[in-house]
Amino acid sequence: MRTFVRAILLLAVFFADAGTAPAAASTAVGARLDQLPQSWRDDSGRPLELATLTGRRVILTMAYANCHKFCPMTMASLRGMQRALDARGEAAEIVVVGYDPQNDKPDVWRQYRKTHHLGRDNWHFLSGSVADTERLARSLGFDFWVYDEHVMHGSRVVIFDAAGAVQRELAADNGHWDAAL
Amino acid sequence: MVKHVRNTALALALGAALGVMSAPALAGASDSDRLNELQQKLDQSLKMIEALSNRVHELEAHQPAATASAAAPAPAPAPAPAEAQRLDTVEQKVAQIETANASRRGDDTGLPIHGFADVGGGTHNPYNPGLKGANIGELDFYLTPTIGGNVRSLFELNFEVSPGGTVGVDLERAQIGYQFSDQATVWLGRFHTPYGYVNTALHHGLWVAEALRRPKFLQFEDHGGAMPAHTVGAWLTGALRNGDGKLLYDVYAGNGQQIQGGLIDMRNAGNLHGSMMGGGRLGYQFTGGALEGLTLGVHAFTDRIDDDQMPANITRLKVYGGYVVYDTDSWENIVEFYAFNNEDLTGNTGSHRSNAGFGQFAYRAGWGVPYVRYEKAHFDQTDQFFAQQTNVNSGNSYYRSAAGVRFDVNLKSAIKFEFANTHQTDGLVGQYNEVLAQYAIRF
Repeated sequence: MRTFVRAILLLAVFFADAGTAPAAASTAVGARLDQLPQSWRDDSGRPLELATLTGRRVILTMAYANCHKFCPMTMASLRGMQRALDARGEAAEIVVVGYDPQNDKPDVWRQYRKTHHLGRDNWHFLSGSVADTERLARSLGFDFWVYDEHVMHGSRVVIFDAAGAVQRELAADNGHWDAAL
Repeated sequence: MVKHVRNTALALALGAALGVMSAPALAGASDSDRLNELQQKLDQSLKMIEALSNRVHELEAHQPAATASAAAPAPAPAPAPAEAQRLDTVEQKVAQIETANASRRGDDTGLPIHGFADVGGGTHNPYNPGLKGANIGELDFYLTPTIGGNVRSLFELNFEVSPGGTVGVDLERAQIGYQFSDQATVWLGRFHTPYGYVNTALHHGLWVAEALRRPKFLQFEDHGGAMPAHTVGAWLTGALRNGDGKLLYDVYAGNGQQIQGGLIDMRNAGNLHGSMMGGGRLGYQFTGGALEGLTLGVHAFTDRIDDDQMPANITRLKVYGGYVVYDTDSWENIVEFYAFNNEDLTGNTGSHRSNAGFGQFAYRAGWGVPYVRYEKAHFDQTDQFFAQQTNVNSGNSYYRSAAGVRFDVNLKSAIKFEFANTHQTDGLVGQYNEVLAQYAIRF
C-alpha cells in the first residue's frame, strides 16, 4: 500500500511540475512584492517601499495622470473593488504606479487624488524613476509605450496576498474589473 | 506479489489520469486561467493522496502483524517532507525562470516597434472629396530607439496613400535630441511645427485623436493642409512648473519651405536659398484648481516660402495666433485661431491678410465620444502662398460643419463616424456633404 501511495505522489508531482512550467512573460507569475523595485514616493512625497505593505492584500495597477481615456475607467473599477472590500469588512491596500515618471510626480498625483476624490488612506499613488517604473511594469506584465505625451497602455490589475505573493491577475480589454473580487 | 503489482498498476493508472486531466490546462487557456486550473487540480490530487494515505493507515491498524513485518526502513512520513521539499525547489525555480523571463522582455538593447493604422470608407475620401468609396489610411510606425543617458530619438515612418491614390513612404518625423532636464529638451531633425495645439498633440496615429480627421486647413501638407506642418531644423521645448500650473514653451528654426506641385514641401535636404523659418509658442496649462485642464497659448512664426513657378513667387509668411484647450476626463474642447499677414517679396502686390480657425467640442461619455466641429478659412487668393497650393484645393477658402462620434471597440481599436457639410468659397465653388467611417488601431 505504501508503494501505491508513493507511486501516486511521484506521478502527481511529475504532472504538477509539467503544469507549472514557466508561464508566458506577459504575466506576473512568480513576482513577489518584496522583489519588485522598492524606491517609490507617494503623493505626499514620502518614501514608500512596497514590501512594507505586506500583511494585507495589495491591489496594484498602473496609470498616468494625464490619461483621460481608459485610466478613468480603471479608477472607477478600483472604486468598485473598494466598495466590495468594504462590504466584506476586508482591508486591502490599493496601489497605483505612474506610467509617466516625467509627469506623474507626487504633487501631480496629489492633485489627481483631489480632483478624482480618491482620498482614502489605503490608496497609494506612487512616483518612481524611469528605470524602476519599467522594471516594475516588466515584472508584473504591464505593457506600455510612450507616444509623445501620451502613454499607450493596457488595463490590468495584480492582486497580492497578505504574504506579498501574487494571488491573482486580471486583465480587461475595456478597463472594467467589476467581478474582480 | 500479485497484489503488489496490481496496486502499483492502479497507482500508475491514477497518476496518468491526473496527467491527462492536466493536459488541457496546458493547451489553450490564458496563462492565469491555466495556472488557477492546475492549482485546483493539484489541490484535488493532494486531497486524494491524503485520503488514500489515511486508508492505508486504517488498513495497517487492522492488520498489526502484517504492518510490523512489512515495516519499511524509512519512517512513514519521510516521503512527504522530501516531496514537499522538491515541490518547494520546483516552485523556486519557476519563480526564478519567470523573473528572468520578465527581465529579458523589454531588454534595453532591443527596438520595440509600435504604431498605428487606419482604414475607412464613405461617400468621399476624407482628404480628397473628388474620390469616393473605401480608402486605406496610414500604416504608421513609431520608433524610439533607446540610446542611453539623456539622448532621445524618435522616428515616425508612415506608409500612406496620397489624395491621388498612390502609396508612398514618408519619414514624417525624424528627431534626435538631448534632454537637459524636465524643463528643456532640444531636438534636431524633422518635427511637427509647434503652432496651435493639434499639430503637436495629435500626430499621424489617428487612433489617438477623438475626431476622425484634423480640420482641413491643419491637415498635413500632402493631405490638403495649408500650413507648414513639418519643419526640418532645431527645436527647443520644455515646461516649467509654477504653482497650480506649468508654463510651456517652444522655440524653433528650420529650412524655409517651398511649394512644389501645388503642395508645401518642408525641404528635407535643405533649400536652394538658405533662408530659414522660425517661430515660437508660449502656453500655460492649469494643472489644479478650478481651471484644471485648461491650457491657453499664443504662437507666431515667420517663413520665406518660394514656389516652383518660373519665375518663382517668394512670400514672407507672418503668422500669429492663439489656442484654448480644455482637456479633462469628460471634455476635449479645442479652439485655434490663425492670422496671416503675408508679404509678397517678388510680385509687388504688397501685403495680404488671411485668417483661419476652428472650434471642436467632444464629450467623453462612457459609451463613446460624440463631437461637433466648425472650421473656417478665408485665404486671400491674390496671396501667392495660398494661390499656389492647388493640390486638393489646399489654398482655397472654405467653411465646414461636422458632427461625429468615436466608439472604442477595445483598448486598442476605435471606430469613428463623421457627417460633414463643406462649402468651398474659392476655386471650385460649391458644397458637398460627406458621410465618413474609419477603423483605427494602435499596436
